[in-house]
Amino acid sequence: MTAPPPPPDEPALPDTWGPPGEPAFAGAPEEVERTLPGISDAQGWRRLHKVTPLLRGWQVVAFVLFLLLQQVLQWLPDRRRSPGLPGDAMTTAFAVAGLLLLFVGAVALWAALSWRATRYRVTQDALQLHSGVLFRQQRQVRLDRLQAIDVVQPLLARLLGLAELKLEVAGGSGSDARLAYLRLSEAEQVRAALLAHAAGVRYEGDRAPEAPERPLVSLPLERLLESLVRSPGACVLVAIVAAIVVLGALGYWQATAALVPTMLAAMGGVWATVSGSYGLRVAISPDGLRVRRGLLDTRAQTVPPGRVQAVSLTQPLLWRGKDWWRLKVNVAGYAGDDTNSGSGLLMPVATRYEALILLAHVLPDVGHHRPADLIAAGLTGLSDRGRDPSDTGYVCAPPVAAWLNPIGWRRLGVAIAQRALLIRSGRLNRELVLVPHERTQSLAISSGPLQRRLGLAGFRVHSTPGPVHPHLKQLRQSHAGALLEEQAHRARLARAGSGPERWLERVESTK
Amino acid sequence: MSALEPNAPPDPDPPTAAPPGRDPFNPPGITWTRVSPKLAGMQLLMAGIGFGVVLLPLSAIPMLSGITWLWAIPGLVAIVGAVVLALIPRRVRAWGYAEEDDDLVITRGIMFKTLVVVPYGRMQYVDVQAGPVERAFGLATVQLHTASPGTDASIPGLVAAEAGRLRERLASRGETRMAGL
Repeated sequence: MTAPPPPPDEPALPDTWGPPGEPAFAGAPEEVERTLPGISDAQGWRRLHKVTPLLRGWQVVAFVLFLLLQQVLQWLPDRRRSPGLPGDAMTTAFAVAGLLLLFVGAVALWAALSWRATRYRVTQDALQLHSGVLFRQQRQVRLDRLQAIDVVQPLLARLLGLAELKLEVAGGSGSDARLAYLRLSEAEQVRAALLAHAAGVRYEGDRAPEAPERPLVSLPLERLLESLVRSPGACVLVAIVAAIVVLGALGYWQATAALVPTMLAAMGGVWATVSGSYGLRVAISPDGLRVRRGLLDTRAQTVPPGRVQAVSLTQPLLWRGKDWWRLKVNVAGYAGDDTNSGSGLLMPVATRYEALILLAHVLPDVGHHRPADLIAAGLTGLSDRGRDPSDTGYVCAPPVAAWLNPIGWRRLGVAIAQRALLIRSGRLNRELVLVPHERTQSLAISSGPLQRRLGLAGFRVHSTPGPVHPHLKQLRQSHAGALLEEQAHRARLARAGSGPERWLERVESTK
Repeated sequence: MSALEPNAPPDPDPPTAAPPGRDPFNPPGITWTRVSPKLAGMQLLMAGIGFGVVLLPLSAIPMLSGITWLWAIPGLVAIVGAVVLALIPRRVRAWGYAEEDDDLVITRGIMFKTLVVVPYGRMQYVDVQAGPVERAFGLATVQLHTASPGTDASIPGLVAAEAGRLRERLASRGETRMAGL
């Protein structure tokens, strides 16, 4: 069917736009991913699972039921005290029940309409998601800009065998694309297809290849629990419990009652940590890191290669006896979500050996002639009168920094390797931050009046939002200036030489 | 070899080593473009109005009640205000930017000096903003955004036409040097 020719006084559209009247982003049908299971219509659009409206709507209904129950419980004692007309009570009950049914019906209708209006399509370059009943939204997520893919199963969805697929891109909160809910197998196949397209893998056959995984480390429950015991939060909790017991025994019931909510909040925090990190397993695959975790709500995160912006290893004081380390990463797109407060926590508690294994997979080549010594000096090394005794290239803070940082000045140091920048700090709570050169966003040095008096300056590398903050608080001023120049230079070289965003793409030779 | 790496193998393209004693906030070879002095006028006006608004009720109390020692409070506020107002022109003179080959370098501050280096290839977008007071003075603020929210790269006090030109230059350089995230 040919489109009618445009009226003579209208400017002609460029040839690349196609005939007028067709929606933009229609997408060539040949590019659409046809090998996914389930039904798709002629143009490749697919729907979410039919049970989705139920899962989406139950929270609203439960909330309203809860409010109603509260009202009824308030009303019952009055009713018992003054038994009025029974007929009056019955009509009220019927009216309330009728209203409730109407409300539930409205919610169900809205959820069903919303399900009907949602559809998605996987093409070679993008994921297209159409949603919205009143306010229509068409979102197109470029797959080469993919930062991470998560398959999340909240408890209720898990019981029904469903899962939510989340694509994280770097646009801040609300910019991710969520497919909720799909059958678990379908979610995994869509994930495989998305990762294959994002990696630039061209495949034939009826199924996107799922990248094989090799397990790296896992977190045993005993270690998780012991790490919680060895934390300041646990000391506070023990103190509160002891206070409650003592006050209760002495008969001060009001004080005890006042402390109980605090104890419940602390226990809630402990439960959240255990539930979020239970059964944590990290594996490596050609698609990047794969992290599975969770007790009631499970999630499987995939972080493709080159998407880790910065990584930090920290060791609180109480973990020093066991030499445990915590690994955190900055992944663009994770910090924007409010539910993903734990997503940047790659490994809550790892032994040093496990931490080094994970670091070797997150940052394969630091680019130093003695990488093991470099990292060991970064984890625990101390400077000797402002010089680095390990001879691995750390530039340390001078002794005058002790005026501003009496405890930790001997740990402050920065090392530039060929592929990454390392910043170490922290005497009591040790920390080592690594930033690959090609992931540097911007750099800054700053100096307050006291620092200038002592000839010091602070150095900061800006990275995407996340739990890792590369910041060296005190450094000799001349070193800070040289570091800024050198790091800007290295970052420029690394940006020019960084690999393609589609990490498994083969570049066809030009003829 | 740079002054920072005593042990690493030689860099194929080494930058010039930093001689000790050089001021890192004024690297050699950079010519700073200062912001317009009208910014000082604007900030003086705003600060003056702010302090005046605070001082009026504070000085009304001792005047009406007649207690002499209460004058100490507005006196203190007036001293702080005078110091702040005196420092404003110096702070505005200290604000500068330089468009280098691959980065935009911004310096600011006299007590708390800061130098920020933003690569063109990492810029996500450039904002030009002008509030009503700024527009009355004919000024605008250019702000660069990278993927990091901590990049505090804003240049206030640019003449409006220059702000537009700077934005165009930054946007075109950002596009030619665009790198991934």
